[in-house]
Amino acid sequence: MTEVVLITLFGSGLALMVPVLLAALGEAISEQAGVLNVGIEGTMLFGAAICALVGVNTANVPLALLAGTATGMGAGVVLSALYVRRGTDQIVTGLLFNIFALGVTGILTAQVIIGNTAPTLSPWTVPLLGRIPKLRDVLNEQNFLFWISIILAIVIFYLLRRTWWGLYARAAGERPHASSSAGLDVWRLRYTAVIAGNALAGLGGAALVMSTSGRFIPGFTSGRGFIALGVVVVARWNPLWVVAIAGLFGLSQALQFVAGLIDFFEPVPDQFWLALPYLVTVAAVAVSRGSRYPAAVGIPWREPAAEAR
Amino acid sequence: MSEGSGGEGAADTKLSDQAAATRGSRDGLARLNVLAAIRHGDILGSILLTVAVMAIIVVAFGGNPWTVAKTIINNSLAEEIFLGQTIMTAAILILTGLAAAIPFTARLWNIGGEGQMFAGAVVAVTLGIMLPEGTAHGLFVLILIVGAAAGGALWGSVPGVLKAYFGINEIVTSLMLNFLAFFAANYVVTVAWPEIYAQLQSQEIHDNAHFPDFWASAKVDISVFIALAAALAAWVLITRTSLGFSIRSVGANPRAARLAGVRTRLVTVSSFLTAGAAGGLAGAVTVGGIHHDLALDLWISNYGYVGIAVALLARLNPIAVLPAAFIFSTLRVGSNSLQAAAGISSSFGEVLIATFVIMLMVTGAIRFRYAQH
Repeated sequence: MTEVVLITLFGSGLALMVPVLLAALGEAISEQAGVLNVGIEGTMLFGAAICALVGVNTANVPLALLAGTATGMGAGVVLSALYVRRGTDQIVTGLLFNIFALGVTGILTAQVIIGNTAPTLSPWTVPLLGRIPKLRDVLNEQNFLFWISIILAIVIFYLLRRTWWGLYARAAGERPHASSSAGLDVWRLRYTAVIAGNALAGLGGAALVMSTSGRFIPGFTSGRGFIALGVVVVARWNPLWVVAIAGLFGLSQALQFVAGLIDFFEPVPDQFWLALPYLVTVAAVAVSRGSRYPAAVGIPWREPAAEAR
Repeated sequence: MSEGSGGEGAADTKLSDQAAATRGSRDGLARLNVLAAIRHGDILGSILLTVAVMAIIVVAFGGNPWTVAKTIINNSLAEEIFLGQTIMTAAILILTGLAAAIPFTARLWNIGGEGQMFAGAVVAVTLGIMLPEGTAHGLFVLILIVGAAAGGALWGSVPGVLKAYFGINEIVTSLMLNFLAFFAANYVVTVAWPEIYAQLQSQEIHDNAHFPDFWASAKVDISVFIALAAALAAWVLITRTSLGFSIRSVGANPRAARLAGVRTRLVTVSSFLTAGAAGGLAGAVTVGGIHHDLALDLWISNYGYVGIAVALLARLNPIAVLPAAFIFSTLRVGSNSLQAAAGISSSFGEVLIATFVIMLMVTGAIRFRYAQH
């Protein structure tokens, strides 16, 4: 009994982690470079909608995932033009971008996707780890995107904390003025970070479609992008911690599937379990109040020369 | 991104903004000046850019931009019943607009208008069903209004208190509280008082709790006056009281305000409280005024988020929130008929509103200033 509960909990918890993890990794990159991308929810929506659209029309899963990522990248180009080039307020622009995305994907659903279902990813049997008893039952439930997201987390950790580009990007997020004086191209660093971050968010949205029913409905991401904003704060912008925290949120989301199996939880209404991930986000952000945003996050950067002109 | 007439206008704004910034403490006041935006001609540039982007989207989805424009105007203003809908929707957007405008003035990002509206709606529907049926009409309506405002204020105060006393980022908390309020509403609708004949909506509140009609043939009720009174009260609060002065000074320069002795914690909590009360009133309008029950599809109307767009179009001025809400309400209500008339989904309304406000920011008609490092 307990074994079934635990296997279900961790099996679906890890699966639910993937979209949030990918989005949070993307958010970590752009925030480290000094751009608070509140529009991540909208980018996930676009990624998910286009992924479903391509999936429905071509029945080609890898192509659909690529299309979702490319859409995220496109959203990143538009958003970086606003955030970085035009220097519009990042929070407000992001929020409006979310409304824009809700609307456009709503039109797409009503007129093009119309409740059609795309083929989804099947679980992938892991070569070595997949033989260990117990662990096997959890890991073999995961599709290959789970493994890709873990590998991406390690790669991004290395990129941000162990490469020159990562150091420059973090400098642009902490002291853009000093970085610029030292000869770094702050705009270019931020463009790259925002575009890469949104590509990951687009992939996160696509992963959400491809690891669930393959069907897109309006407002499909239901705040996962916003949860990713919280995850990044709690994980203190460390991609490896992002995995752990996103996993925690996956588990809190998976509780709704196992709550029915445990008698003790009988009197708790379903709504509580649905609300739990959001409650956990508030609690986690509240607990990690020592966590400090990079100093220049949210503040548009202009070349001093351009300002004087 | 194309830079037409709007781009040149932005250069002018930059200069005048610098001049405004040097005036120091009058900075906060300058932001409340609506006419400044119109003078720069940026609004015109924004409108042109928005029309261009919208035309592209309409054509891409196989529609005719001209038909779309005509449909939106005809189905929001031309007939009595549509005009009534537009006015009632404007009442909601005024209240959610205030829920954004007040904290934004202090540079506090209340993204929780949606949740505060749901909190108010949950309280209103609870009171409307639980209180005895025979409660006097006027008293019942008053209790509903006050209760919803209090519920919204309580809900709104959570991110405010967390921000003021624990330094917790208000964006994430106020956003998450939207979802928590939605699931609370979900509980009320599906478990506590479900309507037996329809899914995802609650029972109807007692007849005596219905807001009295003001223009019955267009289904416009006293909600309009609630919204007008709230906007007026917010204007008095922001421009005519010492608390309002504190709110503006924190918005203009938090550090300077703190050094000058402004109680920033009080400002944070009270601006979230008042914002929450406004959001709660929006909930009261949807329950007591428009629907007489709580329906979960209120969630997809995004009134809380559109309220942010309203606040920005109004440049955070509580009086300017009135026309701004009316304009966006026109676009929203007009878009409801698009599916039948022009073959475009009604979600088009949100796209139009979001694009317009983004363009206002692109051209520099809406600008935010940042404390220098």
